[in-house]
Amino acid sequence: MPIPDTVPILGISWADALFLALAAVLLGSALLVVTLRDIIRSGLAMVSAFGALAGIYVLLGAPLVAAAQVLVYIGAIAVLILFAVMLTQEKAAPVRLVFQTQAIPAAIAAIVLALIIALSVVATDWGAVGRRIATATDALARLLFGQYVLPFEVVGVLLLAAVIGGVYIAKREDRDA
Amino acid sequence: MTAVTGYWNRLSLASRALLVLVPALLVLGGVATVALALLLPPLLDFLGANLGLVRFIIAATVIIVVTIPTAFVIIYMELKVIARMNLRVGPDRVGPFGAAQSVVHGLKVLSKEDYTPAGVDVSVFTLAPVAVFLTTIMSFLVIPFAPGLVAQDLNIALLYFFAIGGLNVVGLMMAGWASYNKYSLIGALRAAAQAISYEIPLTLSVVGVIILAGTMSTTAIVAQQSGSFLDWNVWKQPLALLVFFIAATAEANRTPLDMTEADQELVAGFATEYSGMRFGFFFFAEYVNVFVVSAIMVVLFFGGWTAPFDWPFPVQLALDPASLGIGLLFLIALAPVLGTVILALPFWLGSSRISTLQALLIGFVLFNVVAVAALLGWAFVSFDWVVGLFWMLAKSYVFVFVFVQMRATFPRVRIDQLMGFAWKWLLPAALLNIFVTAIAVSLVGKG
Repeated sequence: MPIPDTVPILGISWADALFLALAAVLLGSALLVVTLRDIIRSGLAMVSAFGALAGIYVLLGAPLVAAAQVLVYIGAIAVLILFAVMLTQEKAAPVRLVFQTQAIPAAIAAIVLALIIALSVVATDWGAVGRRIATATDALARLLFGQYVLPFEVVGVLLLAAVIGGVYIAKREDRDA
Repeated sequence: MTAVTGYWNRLSLASRALLVLVPALLVLGGVATVALALLLPPLLDFLGANLGLVRFIIAATVIIVVTIPTAFVIIYMELKVIARMNLRVGPDRVGPFGAAQSVVHGLKVLSKEDYTPAGVDVSVFTLAPVAVFLTTIMSFLVIPFAPGLVAQDLNIALLYFFAIGGLNVVGLMMAGWASYNKYSLIGALRAAAQAISYEIPLTLSVVGVIILAGTMSTTAIVAQQSGSFLDWNVWKQPLALLVFFIAATAEANRTPLDMTEADQELVAGFATEYSGMRFGFFFFAEYVNVFVVSAIMVVLFFGGWTAPFDWPFPVQLALDPASLGIGLLFLIALAPVLGTVILALPFWLGSSRISTLQALLIGFVLFNVVAVAALLGWAFVSFDWVVGLFWMLAKSYVFVFVFVQMRATFPRVRIDQLMGFAWKWLLPAALLNIFVTAIAVSLVGKG
């Protein structure tokens, strides 16, 4: 007697149920990121949102992307953000944090972004794109370093320029001081 | 009624217990047998139909359980090895040679007060040890212990390992920040800086191995190193091993690179405000981490479960236990009794001061030792995975020993030296290793 294909009572497939659970965690923690008063807690909620997103990638059949998501976004970016916040933040910070005064511009930006995403979702022919793309590591690598090598290199140069710019700014402030 | 109570009162304590227990056991046994007969076939069907899921759940449970003895062994090893290096005796009170000392430590930590200081962020404070311990256990999932003995054979196992390993630092930062203590906060900041710096050379150093193997699956990497010890990756990637070893020491927060809890500057770093089992989890995770790092190093560079050389005298069991038939039953029934008596005889005859009972006891203990040795030998000869497990654990504990030895040997470095070393030496070395490996592979092939 194998486990039934659908969740008992609810009647949706297990993959859908998992997706719903992950999406709920993702949206819930994303909301917490912008509503929590404590900036470190916001950062931790962001970590949990990234983790749920990685889970959704796995569910979509792209474990490589999921691992990269965890490695880069949680392991490096979120940790760096938390690091910077802890380094600069006073424990007795004002309760009303600066970024929460920007609620109206943020709302406008969010609505515009949602519109763009909705437009692109509607405009895409999902029948053509929806066929399963090979997401094995070597296939992905061949695509990245074969067909898309130029965009890849351009992104690399861009990041390098950003690093050099960051170091330059940091050093310039150092000299002035 | 009085007759029954009178009879009951005349019984000794043991007979009263027997009088109650035997009928109860009989009834329970009968019920259990019937239930088993009724429920077993459908249960087996259910388990058989969902083999993948069942296998995963069992594997995850086994991993969580196995971390306990692993940590205990390493803690005992650390106490004893460092004591020997300091010309001390080390623990010698509990158990033979103090071997149960770490169990006592565990019980002590469990029974201590789990104190929450004022001013801490309680939920983050409580979740931090969970996060640290969870990531440590999750990285166990992809370590292959023997052919087929891996919790989950992912094809991106190495990437998964480093991704999960990088999560560890989130827990440390949570602990340090939530503690509301400047030493803890500095420990957390150091943990973050150190983890980000050392993760890059750690991950890059493995790229050479991945280029050689053409896969990120840990089982495939081990399988490609089978043969003698000359086929191990360590001969092809010595620089990668060096970089990996140093970076792994920093990632596992081991002395000399344990700046996150440097006692002479930070009291105990991120763990300063922790006590009881919440501290116990950090402690536990650290030692399990030492094993995980050693194991992954063995997998990548020292051939994992493969034996370093072929056993020169192949042993073939002439006797197949299954072919004994009913004889096996007699063997199981008679061997303990006969073995005990035979092993007891020399003591009984040899010394008149040893009573019959004492001689039998000695015989029983000796028989158990012999039987366990014989069973292990039989398993070693008969099953591939026992051999693999043996070599895997033996090699891993060699590196655990190296980590322990390093702790007693090297002085702690300074934080700026630590960061400078990562960026100025380890990272270029790892990059150089990738280039040299790639050039060599494209010139002469993977040979």
